[in-house]
Amino acid sequence: MAAAGGMRPDSSSASHRVWLLRVAFVVIALLAWEALSRSGVLFKDVVPSLAAIGRALANVLSTRDFYANLGVTAQEIGIAVVIGGVAGVAVGIMLGANRFLSQAFESLLLYLGPTPKIIFFPVMIMWFGVGTGSKIAMGVVSCFFPIAISTAAGMRQIDTVLIRVGRSFRASTWQMVKSIYLPAMREPIVTGLRLGLGVAIIGTLLAETKLSNRGLGYLVIQSYALFDMPKMYALLIVLFVLSIGVNAMIGRFSHAQRRALA
Amino acid sequence: MTATKAARASGSTWTRSRGSTWLRSRTGARVVGIASSIAVIALVELLIIAGAINAFVVPKPTQILLAIPRIIAEENVLHRFWQTAQEVIWASLMLAVFGIALGSLLFRFVGLRLAFEAWVGALAAAPIVLMYPLFLVIFGRSTTTIVMIGFAAGLAPVILKTLDGLSGTRKVLIDVGRSFKLSRGQQFRKVLLPAALPAVFVGLKLGLIFAMINIVGVEFLINFGGLGQLINELAERYDLPGTYGAILFVILASVLFFAVLERIERWLRPVE
Amino acid sequence: MALRAPPPDPSTLLDVRNITKRFGTGDEAIVAVDDVSFSVAPGEFVSIIGPSGCGKSTLFNIIGGLTGDYDGSVTVEGSAVSGTHPAIGMVFQEESTFPWRTVEDNVAFPLEIAGAPKAQRMERAAHFIALVGLQGFERRYPSELSGGMRQRVAIARTLASEPRILLMDEPFAALDEQTRLLLGDKVLQIQQTLQQTTLLITHNLTEAVQLSDRVLVMTYRPGRLKRSVRIDLPHPRDSEVVSSAAFGQFVAEIWQDLREEASRGVEDAESRVRKGAARR
Repeated sequence: MAAAGGMRPDSSSASHRVWLLRVAFVVIALLAWEALSRSGVLFKDVVPSLAAIGRALANVLSTRDFYANLGVTAQEIGIAVVIGGVAGVAVGIMLGANRFLSQAFESLLLYLGPTPKIIFFPVMIMWFGVGTGSKIAMGVVSCFFPIAISTAAGMRQIDTVLIRVGRSFRASTWQMVKSIYLPAMREPIVTGLRLGLGVAIIGTLLAETKLSNRGLGYLVIQSYALFDMPKMYALLIVLFVLSIGVNAMIGRFSHAQRRALA
Repeated sequence: MTATKAARASGSTWTRSRGSTWLRSRTGARVVGIASSIAVIALVELLIIAGAINAFVVPKPTQILLAIPRIIAEENVLHRFWQTAQEVIWASLMLAVFGIALGSLLFRFVGLRLAFEAWVGALAAAPIVLMYPLFLVIFGRSTTTIVMIGFAAGLAPVILKTLDGLSGTRKVLIDVGRSFKLSRGQQFRKVLLPAALPAVFVGLKLGLIFAMINIVGVEFLINFGGLGQLINELAERYDLPGTYGAILFVILASVLFFAVLERIERWLRPVE
Repeated sequence: MALRAPPPDPSTLLDVRNITKRFGTGDEAIVAVDDVSFSVAPGEFVSIIGPSGCGKSTLFNIIGGLTGDYDGSVTVEGSAVSGTHPAIGMVFQEESTFPWRTVEDNVAFPLEIAGAPKAQRMERAAHFIALVGLQGFERRYPSELSGGMRQRVAIARTLASEPRILLMDEPFAALDEQTRLLLGDKVLQIQQTLQQTTLLITHNLTEAVQLSDRVLVMTYRPGRLKRSVRIDLPHPRDSEVVSSAAFGQFVAEIWQDLREEASRGVEDAESRVRKGAARR
């Protein structure tokens, strides 16, 4: 049944219009920014000129200090996603495969999931110290839930017909896992990981802004404390570009995989 | 459910497998879930008493539970709760107004939609709350900052789901509107928007949850506001049972919030 | 062989002339409807019957004004139809009741649009709700009703706008046979009571003969009018008439033409599958 909105730009004039609108939006935004900056409506350094931000951006990207901190943050996030991912997938598989476990414990996950995790940070500090440990722990706590929930849901959605087909051919457990479960689970796990990565980034970085002496979050809050606004804007821009970029890359990767399998 | 099948086949539900049948039932499972959670908590209590877990790092669960009434009395928790709630309410209102408006705008103008829907999608995945120092600079250390962050964090899903709901309206309903010669405005108000309502609410639910999470989180981070600030204060005072207690309280409050939203969503659903 | 267009008649309500509709362009173009002309007199119940793929639904959308871009003209009471027309009421095949409105709010919808005050709206709505036999269900929501009841709500809603001609596209297609028959009876009753001019698109032969004064048979793609059969059965048409010999004769007569078209449709579908398979 056809729905109301038409979607694909099926002519080059439509895609031209798309580009035109996007460029126009960006240009207008930048012009408005610059105007605001020069007008002095807001306190001077709150809205630095585009040139100042540009300089700060160039500065930031050219110092070794930045890359060292980036590395620290990336490492924390990476480890957090690995730990949270493994735990989340494991728990998700257990809950998804076993109806009893699911009914007993899954609602715990569903209700604890949408809660503010950063408030656990004082506890993480007490348990793991003020170093990277507590930041990683924050990341793990953040990403565990969406990964587990997505995996459990994915397990349940595996067409039971396929499972019965496997059993009727007397497939061994390993064969079942390889030919039926794994292919079916790929997409929910990737979706969960994507979501998990997003929240792990947030959790880890927020923890860094709160209490840390290394990492991108620390750099952001430091520039705020020193009221070095251009640098803070530059750092935030880099942060956003990186996280949106990583997300987009995963998305493209999973699409390419899907097309390869189709 | 083979136990039940066997029971039924044998002609009676009251066979000796009744015990395990109940255990396998939904209520049985839930009870087991709750019981094992309590068991874990009890285990932690014992381990702390035994000294296996350092009491200075993890206070005894009983102490934590006792701390809750204490902080409610001493720390004006209800007032703080109300403060946080107000911030959430303000953010929700803004989300409803601007989110639905922008979603409708994108729906109305296909060009805008083609150009910017993907951007809104990217925004949904972006770590907006990380900009909180920026909001601090612009709005100062105030309630406004917190509300604005909540609003910014929750906006994308509302826009996307509104757009989704409007464009997913069944074609036949639109044709009905056309057959009655509805004007564009009438079509929007009387057909498209009501048809989109379930999806719009799902978007609002998501937006509200993001908003709440970020509001409490930012309160904690900037040490200002209601419940989030409470946790921060207690932590800085090294009041361990209090900190744990406050965290527990906030978790319970957010679970409640989520449950209420779910309830409302389910109530809106049967109309479809 | 296309039916020749009848001379313009001042007593026709609906005049459809030389409708041709193509989809696509050049070699790939499909002619869905080819030079169809007919008219409907006031108070007449006309059915258009044809196999799937004969362009009936396209014709429905064209006459109703939902589809533009065709050759030919549609006139209702002398005024040309371009875009939806207030004199034409449409009942769709799919579920079309508004799920968020009660039965009475659904039926009152056209009156609401026309700006009638609430009390008046509800009174008129109650009248049409009773007409379709749903009194007592005014406050219910469509989700609480059966498919047949929902279609009755849709019909009542369209009737509430008091259209000069009622245009229905296989409104009973989604219903089981018994419900169909009962609803068909009901619709005929209503039509006789209101003397409502009606144009019904259907693929169900017995339904067409049971309800109509005239049946127009369409060919398989491209859709042309093959025959017009006048159904001279008496009113009211109860189950006695339906089991009469005359009824059977009309059905048999129309089936001859219909079968030919239906089997052409089946052959066409098969050859398309074969071509598709050969390409791989």
